[in-house]
Amino acid sequence: MKPSVEMLIEKYRNNLYVMAFNVCKNAQDAEDVVQDTFIQYWSYKKEFESEQHIRAWLIRVVINKAKNKNNTFFRRNSLPLEDYIQTLTFESEESSELFEAVMNLPEKYRIVIHLFYYEDYSVNEIADILKLTQSNVKVRLSRGRLLLRNTLKEGWEYDK
Amino acid sequence: MTNKEKYKKAFSAVRPSDEFTLEVEKMKKIKKQHFFKTMVASIAVCVLFMASATVAYAMDVGGIQRTIQLWIHGDCTNVTIQFDGDGTYNMEYTDADGNEQFTGGGGVEIAPDGRTIPLSEEELMEHLMMPDVTYEDDGSVWVYWFDQKVDITDKFVDGVCYVKLVKDEETMYVTVKYKGGYAAGPHKFTDPDSWGCE
Repeated sequence: MKPSVEMLIEKYRNNLYVMAFNVCKNAQDAEDVVQDTFIQYWSYKKEFESEQHIRAWLIRVVINKAKNKNNTFFRRNSLPLEDYIQTLTFESEESSELFEAVMNLPEKYRIVIHLFYYEDYSVNEIADILKLTQSNVKVRLSRGRLLLRNTLKEGWEYDK
Repeated sequence: MTNKEKYKKAFSAVRPSDEFTLEVEKMKKIKKQHFFKTMVASIAVCVLFMASATVAYAMDVGGIQRTIQLWIHGDCTNVTIQFDGDGTYNMEYTDADGNEQFTGGGGVEIAPDGRTIPLSEEELMEHLMMPDVTYEDDGSVWVYWFDQKVDITDKFVDGVCYVKLVKDEETMYVTVKYKGGYAAGPHKFTDPDSWGCE
């Protein structure tokens, strides 16, 4: 199957943007990454097995492109994350603190945490998307949770 | 409220800007606007050779698409690379672990009058032949060049590492600033103070 890019933009635009922002920590870079990802899909010649396959592919490409963006030497003159956070409207102080705590996690924990808590992927699925072992994903998830707990105290519950 | 609910609530504040457009027709026309400086271009791969390169004009996306063989992290790899004609390239390949990888880059020359001139395809290929520096998740740092792989993790002094690579008659002097870019050239080490992050 190969749904139209227009349909996928409508469906995944925001989630892919949030994923890209999670990695880039920069709004303009995240928009570039999402745009490049859809262009990649658009020019991709192969068929996909399912909707889940497409979603996982898009997320994997977004993460790879966002990491590449971070590794390029030239980056946009960007708004510092702290200043960017000030431009966001959070529903509560707790949400703002959680967002900041997540964004201050090391990248490898941040990505796994985001895939689990925002995209609702299982450990197995995360391992498949990131091409990591399941135990590696579990370790990153556990360490990320611990860091969040240490920062947010009672604002972050213990998970299994 | 569960952690998932808290997390989603927190990240619901993040949305692309109103100006962000993803209309397909516009996407086709959009030119990438940011480049990284030529001298310190961070390139993901090293080219070993272009073996019977296939040239095809990808009319649907513009630019020239080629299939070439590259050394990527010590593995000889078939890569589909597309030069977009604006100083940038995108490429895709399957890595040694069987994973599809997508990467890209680009560069400009800074003219004396300050103008930026997109690199040509030939110039980009020259940069693709330069060494690559990789930071692994385990904290190790590696320099790759052709089939050479050098662990420089413990070689940094004051955040800078100098690596001399020799292959047949060719020598490459690589200056690496820890997570701050690198420069390579055939004659001498580049002064690490001669470049810096913006």
